[in-house]
Amino acid sequence: MSILELRNVEKIYGEKDNQVKALRNINLKVEEGEFVAIVGTSGSGKSTCLNLIGGLDNPTSGQIFIKNKEIGSLSRKELTIFRRRNIGFVFQNYSLMPVLNVYDNVALPVTFDCGKHINRKYIEELLRELGIWEKRKKYPNELSGGQQQRVAIARALANKPSILLCDEPTGNLDSATTIEVMGLLKTSCRKYNQTILMVTHNEAIAQTCDRVIHIEDGQIVTGKRRFPAKGGDVVC
Amino acid sequence: MLKLAWKYMRYYKSQTFAIFASILLTASLLSGISSLIYSSQKSDLANSKTIYGDWHYYIETDKELFNSVESGEKGKGYTLEQCGKMEIRDVVAEEFMICFIHADETYRQMAHRDLLEGTFPEKENEIAADGFVLSNLGFSGNLGDSLRIGEKEYIVTGVLKSEWAASSSEMEVFVSDSFKGRGSQTFLYLSFNEDEKLYKQLDAFLQEHKLSSESVAENDEVIQYLGGEAPSSISEIVKFGLFEEEGNFTYIVLKLQSDYNLAYNGMIFLLCLFSLFVVYSVFSISVSKRTSEYGILQTLGISEAQIGGTLLLELWTLFFIGYPLGCLLGNGVLSLMYQKFSGVFGGKGISGAGNGLSVADHTLAEGENTVEFFVSKEAVVFGFVFLLISLALVAFLVVRSMRKDSLKTVMSGDTSFVKRRKIYAMRNVNMANVVVRKFMFANKRKVIGILLSLSIGGCIFLCTTYMVENLKVHAELSLISDDGLGSEYRISLKSDSLKDTIPEAVADKIKNMPETENVYATKYTMGELQISKNEFLSEEEWSDYFKYQNQEPYYIQRYDGICKQQEDGNYRIKYNVYGYDEAMIEQLRDFILEGEIQPETIKNNNQVIVTANMDGQGNYFFYGKKPGDTITLRVPKTENYTDELLKFQSGEENYIEKEFEIAAIVNRPLAQEKDFLNTEVWKNAQSVIMTGEQMEENFGITDYSFINASPADSADAKIVSNQLLQVIRDVPKAVLQDYTTAIATQKGYLGQQQIFFSSIAVILLIISLFHIVNSMSHTILTRRREYGIIRAIGITDGGFYKMILQTGILYGLLADVFIYLIYNRVLRRVMNYYLAHVLQFLHYTTNIPNLVLNGIMVLNVVIAVVAVMFPAWKMGKENIISEIRR
Repeated sequence: MSILELRNVEKIYGEKDNQVKALRNINLKVEEGEFVAIVGTSGSGKSTCLNLIGGLDNPTSGQIFIKNKEIGSLSRKELTIFRRRNIGFVFQNYSLMPVLNVYDNVALPVTFDCGKHINRKYIEELLRELGIWEKRKKYPNELSGGQQQRVAIARALANKPSILLCDEPTGNLDSATTIEVMGLLKTSCRKYNQTILMVTHNEAIAQTCDRVIHIEDGQIVTGKRRFPAKGGDVVC
Repeated sequence: MLKLAWKYMRYYKSQTFAIFASILLTASLLSGISSLIYSSQKSDLANSKTIYGDWHYYIETDKELFNSVESGEKGKGYTLEQCGKMEIRDVVAEEFMICFIHADETYRQMAHRDLLEGTFPEKENEIAADGFVLSNLGFSGNLGDSLRIGEKEYIVTGVLKSEWAASSSEMEVFVSDSFKGRGSQTFLYLSFNEDEKLYKQLDAFLQEHKLSSESVAENDEVIQYLGGEAPSSISEIVKFGLFEEEGNFTYIVLKLQSDYNLAYNGMIFLLCLFSLFVVYSVFSISVSKRTSEYGILQTLGISEAQIGGTLLLELWTLFFIGYPLGCLLGNGVLSLMYQKFSGVFGGKGISGAGNGLSVADHTLAEGENTVEFFVSKEAVVFGFVFLLISLALVAFLVVRSMRKDSLKTVMSGDTSFVKRRKIYAMRNVNMANVVVRKFMFANKRKVIGILLSLSIGGCIFLCTTYMVENLKVHAELSLISDDGLGSEYRISLKSDSLKDTIPEAVADKIKNMPETENVYATKYTMGELQISKNEFLSEEEWSDYFKYQNQEPYYIQRYDGICKQQEDGNYRIKYNVYGYDEAMIEQLRDFILEGEIQPETIKNNNQVIVTANMDGQGNYFFYGKKPGDTITLRVPKTENYTDELLKFQSGEENYIEKEFEIAAIVNRPLAQEKDFLNTEVWKNAQSVIMTGEQMEENFGITDYSFINASPADSADAKIVSNQLLQVIRDVPKAVLQDYTTAIATQKGYLGQQQIFFSSIAVILLIISLFHIVNSMSHTILTRRREYGIIRAIGITDGGFYKMILQTGILYGLLADVFIYLIYNRVLRRVMNYYLAHVLQFLHYTTNIPNLVLNGIMVLNVVIAVVAVMFPAWKMGKENIISEIRR
């Protein structure tokens, strides 16, 4: 059963002569519990695609269905509520609140939805699982990059979302930490039956996922990848 | 560097505009207000010259020097621009004190004794005098008619302009050179070059002519702005004020005012500081937005000095354009207003105790001088240099503050906040509120800085309003008490003898005139108060209070001094004793320092009201006595009265001695007798007040000394005036003073003053509001990325705006608390001290209206909310992704 579907999605930035087609005719289906990597070069449109799925941006045309709900039909408020209940984000630059400690950072999105009622047992479990329970009183700038990304993952999981959208989650990390973080994402995917879409430009990391989608020039490339080269296209 | 600075200015347009606007507004305020004060002082000087004469010093001299010194004389260290010569040739004491004066043209010009009609006297029996003198001597009004003065007849050849110094009890009659009097006293009236310090020129003049400085009398009111006296050094003034027993803070303030024109120079300095504060604040906010960029520049190898240079060039460029434009704007707008608000700036409104000009004198003098606007070049130049140097310092400080952080920190923005190891989510709290509080109080120093700057505008506005409110009450009270300007007409006696009175019948007649209302007839006698040695010396600093009055030859001659210690060690002090109308007694309530005033109780219990002695610093003292204590008062009997009895040295049978209980102590009497103890500089002399009936019952006084009256609503002022003159025609020495125009003018001035000061307060408030909006929007925009993250992780637009609204309200409320505390705990106390001791307001307890106070509180919250909601609305429209990536 597909949890996410993109139908003929297009995204154009700018107007008239300055128009840039960031995404062209994207059609995509993702099954529940799948761990999908979106790979592409810088500027290929992979992050734009992720942002459209997360409802952080609107497509110029086309439809996006999440759990059979077309998110374009939702009002701004409905979309925000839908997003926080169903989608978790992990950004490359962690995007943590510098004025809150680890625990409060993780609990923050929960309070937007449940008011003051926080499932503290679940948050503790998450933090222990991610190995940052001991750091719960630390502030983001007192943590290493890997630790900050774990906090970001914990925050993304705090609302038990169906889909986790990760935008270059290992982009700022060294290789050892990258392996750790990937392991954590896979574990959570399995444990909580979550669907994960991860944008990366690292082919090797992408290969550890269930499926790899290549995007080039705003389009999904099927089969072998083609790279423009002198004397004709090179096929890898 | 210039290119980089220019690029920055063009790229950050709104911030550049904010800095430019802050420079423009503060420069216009600084130069405009300074010019106003300067113009006001210039105008005050012109008025003082009109009232006291256009001269600086006079010297009583011998005939030889009198004849040798001429106008235009230049000596070593002085330029004598004008030298007026005046000779008193004779004096007649009956019925008025009349001086026969021969003077040259220069003196007449200096004293503004121009000829209005006729010619100057040429023969021995010819005289010229002003209208007031002539009418009181019974002149028919036709030039050429004769007039009797003393035992001789004189022909009036001319009418001169009246002299302004209304307090003078002497009358001047001008005679020709051929007039031979019984004596000769010669005086030189000196006017030096005003571009140089006057005291230095006087010293040089005295040295050249081998004169003693003791023979010099100063025209204090004129020379005070011209360096008429050698100033003490500031360090000496401060040292004396702080370390000497007689010194105090008020001494420092008053001395700085008299020696260094503190009001003017201090105001320029304060405005410079205010300007610097606003510009610095706006600039540092603008710069903080690009701190990370400066960090990047540093990584590229650009030195701190170069960054500082870029900042300075940016500031100076804006300053060089903004400052002159601001000066033009401020001076331009205010010069237009100046003519309209002539009463505020002409030095004619009611000020504090100040300069000794009476309200009446001020008002009468105003017609003489056209109100001119002068640009204070000193302030413009001082402000320019001060801000130019300060801005360099600002750039230095900004660079220095960047140095404190590592390059990485500079590049990653502000991470300095208190890290409390507390998990808020462990309890049931609203995390959105926690985030709001965390954002606000992350850096306590910063938040206090923001709150202080938020409250400064409100505080300035409240202080100005407080000043205006109290000025209003003080002005109203001064009008009533200083000159009797509470009433349009005053009938008094040009006499300093208790023998002369206004009969009861005349007072009744005036009271019964349908054209008059509020007729207050006052009885007067002079008395002597007996105070024990312990009481008199109960506070040591007051033991010298009567020292200068006791040295006054006039008081010694007439009253055998004012305060005399008796053989038994006790003191006897001369006091004015008034018998007021009951309605006037009630009006004294506004002047109460201690006790209660109930006219009925005072009358029934035979109590009295006393005025406290006031020093030059607004402190009050009544020999340690309180309401309920008693005083012993002795007054001369009316039977067999002679002026000699006023020395209180005759036999006991000539006096009545009584003991009275004090009902209340007040700071001033109302209408006052001006010819006994209130002569020359001694205004508001010591007084005991009771009802008219008590005066009769205790001392047998039935007649009156002066009457105050107002015209009835429908009455024509001119007709009333003529009728009053008719009524008093047969009362010897009675004169009528008409204050109708003076009162109307003063009330107009008061209105203008209030409008003007309130407008200035509003301008200051606007500048502060501009500053508030700028800082608040900055505090929100610095958290742009964080708000973006919150929005990304699922806060709704409503929730986001609620968070921001909460921030605005919290800032507004906290600023309100700051304003309330700073205003009530600090500023009001400072203001009270200033009003009481420096300005010597009669009244300084009127609170600002609740509407204004609440209005400011609400305005603060509204402004804070608007200031945060606007950037929030802008953020809300932005794409979340671009916000997070900032």
